[in-house]
Amino acid sequence: MLALNPQTRKKLARFRKIRLGYYSFLCLSALIALLSVAELFVNSRALIVHYNDTLYFPTYGSFYPGTTFGQDYSYETNYRELATTFDNSDSDHWVLMPFVPYNPYENDAKGGIMRPEAPDFSAGHFLGTDTTSRDILARLVYGTRTALLFAFAFMCSVYLIGIVIGCAMGYLGGLFDLFFQRLIEIWSNIPFLYMVIIVFSVIPSAASIPVRIGILLSVMVLFSWTSMTYYMRTETYKEKSRDYVAAARVMGAGAPRIIFRHILPNVLSTLVTFMPFTVVSAISAITALDFLGFGLPVPTPSLGELLQQGTANLRTAPWIVTAAFGTLVIILSLVTFIGEAIRESFDPKQFTLYR
Amino acid sequence: MKLKLYLALALLILAACGDSPPQEQSRIIDNTEEVQQYYKDHPDFFSFKTLNDVPSNLDWEDGADLPEVGSSNAVKGGMETVRLADFPRTLRTVGPDSNGGFRPWILDYTSMALAHRHPNQLDYFPGLANRWAVDQDAKTVYVELDPNATWSDGVPITADDYLFIFWFFRTQYITAPWYNNWYESQYTNITRYSDHMISISIPELKPDTDSKVLELRPLPRHFYSEVGDDFIERYQWRFAPTTAAYLLKEGDLKKGRSIKLTRNADWWAKDKKHWRYRFNIDRVNLIVIRDTPKVFEAFKRGDIDQFGLNLSEYWYEKLPNTDADVENGYIHKKWFFNERPRPPYGLWINTDRPLLNEKSVRLGIQHATHWQLVIDQFFRGDYDRLNTANDGYGPFSHPTLSARPFNVEAAMKHFADAGFVERGDDGILMREDGTRLAFTVSSGYESMKDILTILKEEALKAGIEFRVEVLDGTAGWKKVQEKQHDIHFSAFGYSLELYPRFWETYHSSNAYDKAFLEDGSVNPERKSKTQTNNLESFAVFEMDSLIDQYRQASDSETMIKLAHTMSELHHDEASFVPGFYSGFFRLGHWRWIQYPADFSFKHASGPSQYFVHWIDQDIKAETLNARADNLPLTKTIEIYDQYRTAPSP
Repeated sequence: MLALNPQTRKKLARFRKIRLGYYSFLCLSALIALLSVAELFVNSRALIVHYNDTLYFPTYGSFYPGTTFGQDYSYETNYRELATTFDNSDSDHWVLMPFVPYNPYENDAKGGIMRPEAPDFSAGHFLGTDTTSRDILARLVYGTRTALLFAFAFMCSVYLIGIVIGCAMGYLGGLFDLFFQRLIEIWSNIPFLYMVIIVFSVIPSAASIPVRIGILLSVMVLFSWTSMTYYMRTETYKEKSRDYVAAARVMGAGAPRIIFRHILPNVLSTLVTFMPFTVVSAISAITALDFLGFGLPVPTPSLGELLQQGTANLRTAPWIVTAAFGTLVIILSLVTFIGEAIRESFDPKQFTLYR
Repeated sequence: MKLKLYLALALLILAACGDSPPQEQSRIIDNTEEVQQYYKDHPDFFSFKTLNDVPSNLDWEDGADLPEVGSSNAVKGGMETVRLADFPRTLRTVGPDSNGGFRPWILDYTSMALAHRHPNQLDYFPGLANRWAVDQDAKTVYVELDPNATWSDGVPITADDYLFIFWFFRTQYITAPWYNNWYESQYTNITRYSDHMISISIPELKPDTDSKVLELRPLPRHFYSEVGDDFIERYQWRFAPTTAAYLLKEGDLKKGRSIKLTRNADWWAKDKKHWRYRFNIDRVNLIVIRDTPKVFEAFKRGDIDQFGLNLSEYWYEKLPNTDADVENGYIHKKWFFNERPRPPYGLWINTDRPLLNEKSVRLGIQHATHWQLVIDQFFRGDYDRLNTANDGYGPFSHPTLSARPFNVEAAMKHFADAGFVERGDDGILMREDGTRLAFTVSSGYESMKDILTILKEEALKAGIEFRVEVLDGTAGWKKVQEKQHDIHFSAFGYSLELYPRFWETYHSSNAYDKAFLEDGSVNPERKSKTQTNNLESFAVFEMDSLIDQYRQASDSETMIKLAHTMSELHHDEASFVPGFYSGFFRLGHWRWIQYPADFSFKHASGPSQYFVHWIDQDIKAETLNARADNLPLTKTIEIYDQYRTAPSP
């Protein structure tokens, strides 16, 4: 196991010593943990409904029609209204709403007009509402979750392809290497943005939102794996000539085993240092694409869409751009701090000028 | 040696791949003979007669009694800066890329036709024609041209410039199939009697027969004598001699950035009634600014003189009545209600699609779309609900039909009729076989995507899912033209016409190839027809004959009756969900821009369309000084509701 490797353990200890990076890591982990159960904090569905001596937990699972709780409609219960109804009646029914009682899609025009409203704690709009009276905090939370999920999926896919091809190029060398180098040179010159636009214009409209996000992800991966291969190739070239590789080969190990069991752990430091920066670039890319209108389909909440709204209403609704920009800065800073710390702790030179 | 050979070969191939040798620019084209030959080859269409052949019993009209357009207070002079959303790709007014946002400045709004509809009265006032007469029996309009009319280069406008359009718009050189088709099918003859007398005939008689002829615009025969197979490149950046008041002078076109238009001081119509108080501004500086928020900032700085405030967010929030510049009276706000054919914003349901071909599903959708919420909360009650697809045509629009209101119970009842009874886990109705009630709602209007999300959220209550798909304008239009849509949110821009058209949107021949068999039953092998405006794939046997009668009818009464019957039929089929219309336009302008007392016209589509505004230099200086010293002037916010059609809420 990698974790048992004393070298790795030493590196991890060093990472813990770099305060900024370590605390950033803790913050980001906590944030991701929170975001993964965001439905419990930001949701229009109640956490618990107590009705006729029965407890209901509507957060996850299928919807409860209004008739379940004695309302006269068959569509999904409006729990905020239900809460006021119960409060005003002298029954023992009650509703426990989440911290932010809105979902990212509903238009909640308090004054009967859809327009950006400034943050209002009494209404539960902690960061205000956007141009169609949707709660900004809700859109921010779900938008960030999608962006992070997207970024990690992107990173994993890019690394998988990059490592396999890069290592193979370095290890096998020769014609294989030559062929892939040329291929990558050509491939990396295809303009990525145009490809996204072209691909998105032919996606069938019937595709659901997860499918569309998946397609966007694969298009981005398809045009981003190339840069990783070069680092892996040079690293593998270097390691390949070391004695331990020769020893492994003499003992009869096959190419995949040598690459993945022997070479890969030794080039891990290069790999790990790039990770946070890949995440940063993925978040920026998806935000930028959204900003330009080629990203996630309407009305999926996203950082880019919020930024776009914010810049269009800079004068009249500064809280939109503040919220989106602030979130982006925080997330990207956290990831960058972690990246710097990893880079430093995995650096084989103990004493480096970089601080 | 071998290497050198390879290298030489490679270079040779590369060279061959490069640009083809530059075309000989100086190639001389003179189409005079070709045009004359064309006239000779089509003797039925092009006739040459003498003044003695003009019937003597004609009832001539000249529109001279119609009131002036514009104000006699108008003064000439000044420069106005106007925003262009995109730089024009060509100066041609026909052919590829010509139909852009710049063309109105050199054609649609500025150049002269034989006669123009008066923006208040709808009757025609003279432009290039002196007088005209309609011969009902011969389906012919006789026109006497104004002998004083000249092109901007001084060449007189004669009958030959009118004959020429029927060659020009019919040639393949211009690469404009719509024009080819229109000028081949909508006119049957043009006759030249003298330099200043022509007649033009059309195939069918209509209540507005005259409009088809009187709205024709001539082409400068002498300028287009070089039209040939390289028309598109040859005329790409050449400014044609024009009948309009505005000229493009040498050096005033900065590619990608700006275009300056200059008022022609020697314009032939400068003293002509209906024209003399218009086109008052000396220089129009059109600059390219792509983003609307940036345009607004430029307007607030005073770099741009006027800014459209049609959107609620601009009228109420970005330039509220309490804004310092408005409060101090530097910027004036105007709200003008107009009356004209309304663009039918709504959901066009493709009845050729599974589920959507069932009437009860369509009826359910009618009741499941909450347009009133969009109008009340998103448009803040300023817009009105559209009731039919053909509102705003006066008596031709149906007087009593009203759009179906949002009603969850009614919608669910109709869905239940179609077998959608049970809700799934996500609240969407399902049939017993598991079919979900879900459709894609597409649109090419990026700026209106919020409307679709509002509709989507409300429709969930009725158990139907709308998958919103926002495309860019061209892709959206392509999708509906290919009939690839389920439900599409769109509208057609209608020009000022007396009565609505039905054939384009509802005739079965625009929906399918051979929609019906001889006996009127549905042809089981019919195929969807693409590239037509029948976006609903609307095919009702009864409708076809009504449309045919309507097209042949020549008196208003019959046509009105037919239009109402067709509107009812269309309403019953429930394939179009009427959305909203805006019965007005709004404008913010700096104080020095002056308008006539009535501000605009009953049938105008926008404030600048008729160029009746002017710049008062004294007021400009006064305003700028007051602004520098922060002195308040009279706050002016005016609402002109004399032409309001919908009752006040």
